[in-house]
Amino acid sequence: MAKILYIEDIQDNITLVEKIVTSRGHEFLFAHSAEEGLEMAVMSRPDLILLDLGLPDADGQTLSVWLRGDPALASVPIIVLTAWPEEVARQTVDAYNLNGYLCKPFSLSSLVKMIDSVLDSKS
Amino acid sequence: MSIEIIPADRFTIQELTDLYNQTRVDYLVPMPMNADRLNEYIHDFNVDLRRSGVARDANGQVLGLSMLGIRQEMAWVTRLGILPSSRRTGAGSLLMDFMLNNADTLGMKETHLEVIKNNEPAYTLFLKKGFVESGTYLVMRHAPRPLSDSLQGDVTWLDFEKALEKLEDYPEHITWINALESMQNSPNTEGLQINFPDGTSGWLVYRNTKFTLRSTLSHLIMHTEQGKPQNVGMQLLSHLHTRYLHHDTYAENIHENDPHLPAFHALGYFTNFSRIEMRRQRDGN
Repeated sequence: MAKILYIEDIQDNITLVEKIVTSRGHEFLFAHSAEEGLEMAVMSRPDLILLDLGLPDADGQTLSVWLRGDPALASVPIIVLTAWPEEVARQTVDAYNLNGYLCKPFSLSSLVKMIDSVLDSKS
Repeated sequence: MSIEIIPADRFTIQELTDLYNQTRVDYLVPMPMNADRLNEYIHDFNVDLRRSGVARDANGQVLGLSMLGIRQEMAWVTRLGILPSSRRTGAGSLLMDFMLNNADTLGMKETHLEVIKNNEPAYTLFLKKGFVESGTYLVMRHAPRPLSDSLQGDVTWLDFEKALEKLEDYPEHITWINALESMQNSPNTEGLQINFPDGTSGWLVYRNTKFTLRSTLSHLIMHTEQGKPQNVGMQLLSHLHTRYLHHDTYAENIHENDPHLPAFHALGYFTNFSRIEMRRQRDGN
């Protein structure tokens, strides 16, 4: 079982992802903003972070830099879940050294597959 | 549907923030804000809430909002958004009329705005209100990363005052958010000047902003005084990112034909999205 933190400002998306994550037996945490997400990541030390790019206080690209800047979080895998165009998501993952992306709307199975894959490679 | 437009200063910043975020919930690039960021936005870009509007129906339900920036003889329409359930009701058109009437009453000679490329409903509305395209601009990002290029040139770092002096002499058009007034409104404005032995020279003005938690570079304006823009740009950016190795960078409104664009790309910048700038003369088109 892994501890997964989802940083996303839209509650409907959180509710959907929570169902998927908890049905796989993982512990689920969430935050609605970049500041709250960083604070929760520092306190809870998640095994995986799911990150929305459009957050109200700072966008996900900037937040990923802050997360990577904390030595304790630098190696925590980050998967981007976004409604932004796929090309932007791909370039973001490459430039910011993240671990993968899914563009909304994505299938439940693709999210499960990506989470399993990232957690497997981490372990 | 009966719709009235109310001056935005009758609402709290939190109410405006919540409404703004709701209007963009289905956008591809929603760019949500919190109240602190909206407050900063209003200050930095001279938004006049008395001349900005909130659309409301006969039941008192808010439908959307838009904001108007005012500077000398220029106005700027920004943050226009209508709730998804209230689109195609005419609310956007009424908000635009409200703000353009305010701009005309104040004697503004020209009104500018920017619309995200491919936002066809908004683009069509602006055309109907007399706006014409004046340029396409890129919103670019740069992630912190080690630099491989060697540093060249003699660099002088510019404080707030000296950076603004450079901008005062900038010969090209700058969009509202990077204009001299916007940079004057932020104490985080800095810059650097570069000179080479062969006479090549240029400068870069930017904001080194304490966002909410960490520093970020933004609002980059670059100028080559003499020499090849690509070479000058490469060295300006290399010096900047060497000095601020761990900063995330957000470069807004770089013109699509900016001669420094190859330098941005060579340094690893990529485009998040594009904006079209549009302008409307007071006496119509």
